Amino acid sequence: MKAEIRGSDAFSYVDLTLAPGDSVVAESDAMSSMSADLDLQARFNGGFFAGLLRKYLAGETLFVNVFKNNTKAPRSLTLVQPTPGGIRALELHNNTFYLQPGAYLASTEGLKLGVGFAGFVSWIAGEGLFRTVVKGSGTLWYGAYGALLDKEIDGEYIVDNSHLVAYEPGIKLRLQLAGGIFSSLFGGEGLVTRVSGKGRVVIQTRSLSGLTGWINPKLS
Amino acid sequence: MSFKVSVTGYAQADQVAARAAFATAFKITPEKAAELLTVLPRTIKVDLDQATAQRYCDALLKMGLTSAAEPMQAAAAPSPVPPAAPAPVAQASPAPVMPAAVVAPEAEQPGFKFTIEGAPDFAFLTVKLPANHTIKVEASAMATMDTHIRMKTKLGGGLGRFITGESIFINEFSAEKVPGEIGIAPGAPGDLGHVYLNGDVIYLQNGAFVACDPDVTIESKWQGFKKGFFSGESFFLIRASGTGDLWFNTYGGMIAKDVDGEYVVDTGNIVAFTEGLNYSVEKFGGYKSLFFSGEGFVCRFRGKGRVWIQTRTSGALLTWAQQFRKAKSAD
Repeated sequence: MKAEIRGSDAFSYVDLTLAPGDSVVAESDAMSSMSADLDLQARFNGGFFAGLLRKYLAGETLFVNVFKNNTKAPRSLTLVQPTPGGIRALELHNNTFYLQPGAYLASTEGLKLGVGFAGFVSWIAGEGLFRTVVKGSGTLWYGAYGALLDKEIDGEYIVDNSHLVAYEPGIKLRLQLAGGIFSSLFGGEGLVTRVSGKGRVVIQTRSLSGLTGWINPKLS
Repeated sequence: MSFKVSVTGYAQADQVAARAAFATAFKITPEKAAELLTVLPRTIKVDLDQATAQRYCDALLKMGLTSAAEPMQAAAAPSPVPPAAPAPVAQASPAPVMPAAVVAPEAEQPGFKFTIEGAPDFAFLTVKLPANHTIKVEASAMATMDTHIRMKTKLGGGLGRFITGESIFINEFSAEKVPGEIGIAPGAPGDLGHVYLNGDVIYLQNGAFVACDPDVTIESKWQGFKKGFFSGESFFLIRASGTGDLWFNTYGGMIAKDVDGEYVVDTGNIVAFTEGLNYSVEKFGGYKSLFFSGEGFVCRFRGKGRVWIQTRTSGALLTWAQQFRKAKSAD
């Protein structure tokens, strides 16, 4: 399988070429175009109950689509995400990766997706009570609103609520006030997440709250 | 000895093509390239050994730019690279060899060190604060920071910001005792602009303020009733004055335009302009165009200075999105 992420940061998409026998799993609604003879099968996102959990707790879709190339020649498929923003690919080799709700886009068959309890800290921080846990070996595609930036953490770092997209298992989240009581109430920062440990976090350079904060005063 | 490379001029008549080639090679936007190459000579790379500097010059000449490699004075070189460790620059095909991030020539820039990533779609600003230094940041724009950075909230920007729906607070972030870094994300999708104020004054559209040095004064300024009313934007502008860095954001891409004489900009597309420009808001064309052309009022700048223009307007976005919003049921 060949995969390339194309488009600008604002409107990234995944351009896939499936070799004969290849298959890829994608969020329902992620397919924007494909070769006409790819086989498409919708299935519950990890079973009916797991799918429900994933839909209501982790912001994913109830169904996922499996695209399989049963022909004898390479076939193409393009995948998009609902929000404007960047998409990333990640190769997993028998390890684990955490995604914030809504960030999952697609994966190869070797990866298992689950819903993990992210802790009350994550929930209060507006990042959701649950997170998507990706395990196994294969390629994962995920994305978010805004451009995506990597940040290697060794020690501690502060990430504002709703800018966190994904993180490695070595990272722990803790909640704290952005400043003193007054600053936290009026400075518009409120609660922030203190990430600690060793590993990579992925942040999005725009947040939905930033967008609404910009556009809402202009709406009448 | 280390060398610096400066672009000194154009080797061909087609300046636009040369700038485009420069933009491609350095992986920057054509606007940024145009901005960098407005004032020449422009130093684009420092701390190079002689051979590498020469390769840069050769590559620039192929793009249609003349350049010069000069030895750097010992005092001016912040960290002389030992000659034993040459920069890992590949030999073949000079153009793609260029490192990606040379946008802010550090040797020439006073002020904080910073990087802008994700531009032009969702530009994100990371500022390195030296120890015991402070930066003023628009409320709720902080996205990431080191844990030892302290935040203080202050009233700032004046009453005008309150009236137009901006926050009346500005946050101050200080790196206590040790250097630190802060990542700043504006609200609107778009690009970031930077200027280093040296006692001069820049006017920003309300809402375009992102961050500044504490020695830059941010205040809101009444535009005058006629200008404010007809500009369709707001009655207030932000006046930034003093010495230090200033960052502002746009919705959409950004164009920096040097004005000498007169220039007309649609009122919704203005992001910032230097004080040397006078402006008036006027009707665009006759009354017929006022009602039918969709332009309505424009801003006419006069004088000498620079105006920053955004390639989209929030008003147009709202008009476009309005038709998809759920209508409230009338009861």
